[in-house]
Amino acid sequence: MGKGTAERVAPAPLVGIGRQRRLISGDDVFHAIAFAAAALILLVAAVFVIALVIPALPAITRFGLGFLVSRSWDPVQSQFGALAAIYGTVVTSAIGLLIAFPIGLAAALFLAEESGVRLLRGPLSFAIELLAGIPSVVIGLWAFFILTPIMRDTVDPFLNHTLGFLPLFQGSPSGYGYLTAGLVLAIMVLPIMIALSRDVIRAVPRALREASLALGATNAETIWSVILPYARVGITGAVLLSLGRALGETIAVTMVIGNRNEISSSLFASGYTLPSVIANEFTEAVGNVYLGSLFYLGVILVLITIVVNVLARLLVWRFTGSEPTAA
Amino acid sequence: MKRMLVALPVLAGLLLAACGGTSTATSTPATGGSTAPTPPAASLTGAGATFPQPFYDAARFAYNQKFSQVTVNYQGVGSGAGIQQLTKKVVDFGASDVPLKDSEAAAMGGRPAVVQIASTLGTESIAYNLQGVADGQLKLTPDTIAGIFLHHITKWSDPALKADNPSVTLPDQDIRVVHRSDGSGTTYIFTDYLSTVSSEWASKVGKGKSVSWPTGDGASGNGGVASRITQTPGAIGYVELAYVLQTHMTQAMLKNSDGNFVLPSAAGATAAASQYLGTSPTNFSIVDAPGKDSAPISGYSWLMVYTNQQDKTKGTALVDFLYWIVTDGQQYAVNLHYAHLPSNMVTNDIAALKTVTYGGSALLSVSS
Repeated sequence: MGKGTAERVAPAPLVGIGRQRRLISGDDVFHAIAFAAAALILLVAAVFVIALVIPALPAITRFGLGFLVSRSWDPVQSQFGALAAIYGTVVTSAIGLLIAFPIGLAAALFLAEESGVRLLRGPLSFAIELLAGIPSVVIGLWAFFILTPIMRDTVDPFLNHTLGFLPLFQGSPSGYGYLTAGLVLAIMVLPIMIALSRDVIRAVPRALREASLALGATNAETIWSVILPYARVGITGAVLLSLGRALGETIAVTMVIGNRNEISSSLFASGYTLPSVIANEFTEAVGNVYLGSLFYLGVILVLITIVVNVLARLLVWRFTGSEPTAA
Repeated sequence: MKRMLVALPVLAGLLLAACGGTSTATSTPATGGSTAPTPPAASLTGAGATFPQPFYDAARFAYNQKFSQVTVNYQGVGSGAGIQQLTKKVVDFGASDVPLKDSEAAAMGGRPAVVQIASTLGTESIAYNLQGVADGQLKLTPDTIAGIFLHHITKWSDPALKADNPSVTLPDQDIRVVHRSDGSGTTYIFTDYLSTVSSEWASKVGKGKSVSWPTGDGASGNGGVASRITQTPGAIGYVELAYVLQTHMTQAMLKNSDGNFVLPSAAGATAAASQYLGTSPTNFSIVDAPGKDSAPISGYSWLMVYTNQQDKTKGTALVDFLYWIVTDGQQYAVNLHYAHLPSNMVTNDIAALKTVTYGGSALLSVSS
C-alpha cells in the first residue's frame, strides 16, 4: 500500500553495464522487452473484447437494446433479457457499499490518523490484509452455511419487525437473497475500501492538519472540516474501485443470492446477478442465441466495470498522484 | 461437495473390481451370456454429462483393470460441452442426459452419422425438509407436485397436501422450492415429468435443461440443491436418488401412473424403463411410466459416437468398451445407485453398436 513511488524507480540492470554497452545497450534490450510486454497486454485486451462481442452477436442482433429492459429469461422459448440480473447486480452492490462505506471510512481514519490506540493498529492492519486474502469461494461457503441461518432466524425477522413498514423489509425471509448477498459483498470490499481510504487520508498534507489543530480545532473538527473535504475525491475513487470489485464478484454471491430471475422490492427476496447467471448457465447453454445471451450479459458487465474502474482510477490518480494499489 | 459424496461408493466399486475378478467374469449380463471382446491397445477420451460421471469413472477404471491395454479418459464438462467437443471431433465419444436434438445431429452430419446408446438409467427423488415429517412419510401426487412447482400450492398446510397425507401433521409454513440453477439433464427429466402430468406446466413453462421457473431458488448441481434443502426449513426440491441416499435426506413417496405410492429406487427406474419397448434416441421419455413399481421421474443417460470411425484400432477399442459398458459394466452402475438397463435396451444398444463401421465393415464382433 502507498508504495507507488518506490515502484517507479527504474530496476537495476541484470548484468554489468560496462561490458554490455559495447555490443547492445542493456537499456535497449530492457526497453524492447518491456515494450513487447506492454504491447502484448494491449493485444490481449483487444482480442478479449473482440472474442467477447463476436459470440454475443446472435443475441445482440436478435434482441438489440431491448435485452437491457426485458425481464424474461426463458431458455425453452429462447427469450432472454438482462433486467433482473442488472437489477440484482446494482442492488447487491449498492447494499455492499452502503454497509462498507461508513465502516471502511471510520476504520481508515483510525488507521491513518496520528491519534488513536497505537496498540490496535498493527493487528488491525493485519486483519485487513487477511480479509483481503481470503478467496471468495471460502467467504461464500461461510456465508452459505453460517450466515444464511443467522439472517433467516435473527437479522431478517428483526428488520421485518422494526422496519417492516418499508417495502424493503417485507415478506418472509429465507436467509438467501439481496440483503445477504449485499452483506457478503460488504465484507469482501471492506479491505479495499479501508486500504485505499487510508492511503488518501495519509496523503493529506501534514501542514493543513497542523494548521487546523493550531487554530484550536479539535481532532474531530479537523477530520470533519479539513481532512475529509480534502480527501473527498480520493475517497470517492476508493468507493468506485470497491464498486468495481462488488459488481464482478461471482461465486460468493451465487451461493447466497438465490438465483431467481425476478425483480422484487423486498431485500429478503431472492434475485440474480450478471456474473451469477453466466457462472450458472454456461455449461449447458446450447444454441447460438442462448450462449450469445450469456456473452451479451458479459459485455454489459465488462462495460459497467470498465466505466466504474476508469472513473475510480482517474479520481485516485488525480488525488494521490500515484497508482492505487488495489488490495 | 459432489466429489466428496460420491467418493465412498466409487471406492467401494473399485474395491469390488479389484478383488472380485472371478465374480466379474461369471456374472451374467442382462442379455445372453456373451463375454466382452478383447480390445486392441488404445487410448480413448470422452466428455459430457456430469450425472453419469461417477459411473463412467468407476467403469473405465474397472475396464482398464480388466484390459490394461485400453485407457479411457472422461471429463464431466456438461452435456452441451460434451456434444460440442464431439462435433469438433476433439473426443472419441460424447455423453448427454438428453439425446441429440435435430440441430445438434445436423451439425455432426445428420442422424445416420451418429450412433447413440443408452448407458445407464437414473431416477429422481423429491426431497424435503420438514420438521417432524420423517423419510417416506410425505405422499405427493402428480397434481400436488405440479401445484407446488407452479406456485399454486404455497403452504405446507394446503388442503390438497393434507388430503393426501391425513396421518401427517403438516405445519403452516411457506413451501420453499429449490431447483437447479445450472442447466442439467436432471432438470430436463423433471420438467419432462411435469409437462407430462400437467398441461398447465406444459403450456406455461415446458421442458428443458434450463427453464423459466415460476417459483423457487436455484442452486448449482445436485449437491447444491441437496445442501439448500438440508439448510432451509420448509424446502422441497428434485434431486438424483443417489444424492438423497448418500446424504440421508428425507424423500417423498410419489404416486405413479398406476396409482401406487412408491419410494423412488433404482429398481423402480428399471421397472419404468422396461415398460417402453420402443425407446430410441428420438423417443426416449420414460417419465410417468405405467406399471405398479415404476418410479415416475426416471430417465436414460446417453453415449454417442460417430458411425464411421476414422481409425480402425481406436474404433474397435471404442465399440468394445461401449459393449462392455452396457453389459458387464452395468454392475458398476448398480453399486452407485444407478439403475440396471432393462434387457430390451441392452439389445437395442448392442444392435446400434454393430452399425459402427470402419471403411464399410462393422467393428464390433460379438456372437449373439
